[in-house]
Amino acid sequence: MRIDNAYFTRRKFLNSILGGWLGTLAVTFVSPIVKFVWPPYKEPDEVKLAFADFAGMKPGEVKGFPWGAKPGLLKRAEDGSFIAFIGVCSHLDCNVSWMADKKKFFCACHEGWYDENGMNIAGPPPKPLRRLETSVEGEDFFVRKPGAGAKA
Amino acid sequence: MKIDMKKVGAWFDDRLALTPIFKYMTKKEVPQHEHSIWYYTGSSILLFLAIQIVTGIMLALYYKPTLEGANDSVGRIMTDLPLGWLVRSIHSWSATFMIAFVLTHLLAIWFTKSYRKPREATWMTGMMLLVVSMVFGFTGYLLPWDDLSLSATKVGTNIPNAIPVVGKWVTQFLRGGDDVTGDTLTRFFLFHVCILPLVIFAILAVHILLVQKEGMSVPLEAEVKKKKVPALPFWPNFILREVMIWLVLLGTLLTVALVFAPTLGPSADMMAPAPAGVKPEWYFLFLFQTLKIFPGNMGPVTGEFVAVVLILVAIVAIFFLPFIDTKPEGKKGRIINYLGVLGLIYAIVFSIWSLL
Repeated sequence: MRIDNAYFTRRKFLNSILGGWLGTLAVTFVSPIVKFVWPPYKEPDEVKLAFADFAGMKPGEVKGFPWGAKPGLLKRAEDGSFIAFIGVCSHLDCNVSWMADKKKFFCACHEGWYDENGMNIAGPPPKPLRRLETSVEGEDFFVRKPGAGAKA
Repeated sequence: MKIDMKKVGAWFDDRLALTPIFKYMTKKEVPQHEHSIWYYTGSSILLFLAIQIVTGIMLALYYKPTLEGANDSVGRIMTDLPLGWLVRSIHSWSATFMIAFVLTHLLAIWFTKSYRKPREATWMTGMMLLVVSMVFGFTGYLLPWDDLSLSATKVGTNIPNAIPVVGKWVTQFLRGGDDVTGDTLTRFFLFHVCILPLVIFAILAVHILLVQKEGMSVPLEAEVKKKKVPALPFWPNFILREVMIWLVLLGTLLTVALVFAPTLGPSADMMAPAPAGVKPEWYFLFLFQTLKIFPGNMGPVTGEFVAVVLILVAIVAIFFLPFIDTKPEGKKGRIINYLGVLGLIYAIVFSIWSLL
């Protein structure tokens, strides 16, 4: 049935209302499922370590620390300052290792090389290793995402 | 009371209507010609699938899909349980045999041009089965949770990441987060023992139904000239020949599994660097090597992106092969043959290269 001057029939109107309602209902059911399946875990903004564990590092030495579920690598520079990397290859996510004799980081999965500053120098890695900021606050040693800043 | 088996049979037939299926089986014929040998690859795949189901259920009785328990439980299966090491070995080797036969099946159909009309859908469901089989292998590889399987999974699940926008979601879905963790392991176990079996049975049902519906393909010459090809009754002649082949394959599988049992490395440490010699399963080696040779950056995009796009294009092209090669008796059919040989050479050379 179509009312005079109407753009659509009554059936089409009712079907659209019903269809729209069913669609909305479906979304309300599906969206929590999607949220459940894709978990909310993210890598940390900062981790707190004990400074005592790292204070004894010699210049040029590299030590690991946990950055969430990823390995972090902490290197002591020649001037005594600390440089922190996420020890995950920028190519396909394998954990890299520090080759102390060559002074390079190496990824065994596809033979990717990084220099001692984490710059990609050979093999497939497209980007340098990700760097993190460090700060010593009393007895605590903080490693942070760049720009995350100190928590008040 | 004496049970009249005929009556019992009739009761079931009345309710399930099985007679047409039996009738079909006795009437079905399998053509005999110089390429008939390839018909047996299909049923061989089913044999290995059946072995995978039985040994998989056995392993799942004791396997623990958790970060703390996985590696230990595989170790326990291999050392404490009677013949547990052999059950694991058969499961691992049967997977290899199954993939090998799936690939042979595909190549046979590629070169005999059996994918042509009206069997396009059979080819496409077959391609889906190949992909599902490979995902089975990929998810199963992580389950022992040693350092090799962890690194292989990190690489494999990171590959979708190279695709802008949607790739990140796929990687997070596969991993259950940004990193490969215990959640990934549990998820992979679920894919491996629940979701993929449902998927493979659904596609397999359609695939086998299509094979029955369209009948076995015959060589091109016979098809074009409408020649009558000599045939063998499916039941019992063809089935008995298949059984003979199954027995040979079963013997080969058991021998290989007995002599070359897989090892188990120490439990994976998510913080440890990737071990030297990270390798995926053999059927991923040529893709692994392909990813390795692309440089980090190619102009504005990463080499990884270019490699992933090329691989995806190849897979899609193979999936739609029946629509690309529409006139197999003509020139295009020969080009497809050359491409098949080239692809095979590429896969073999790259696989060997990756092992050097």
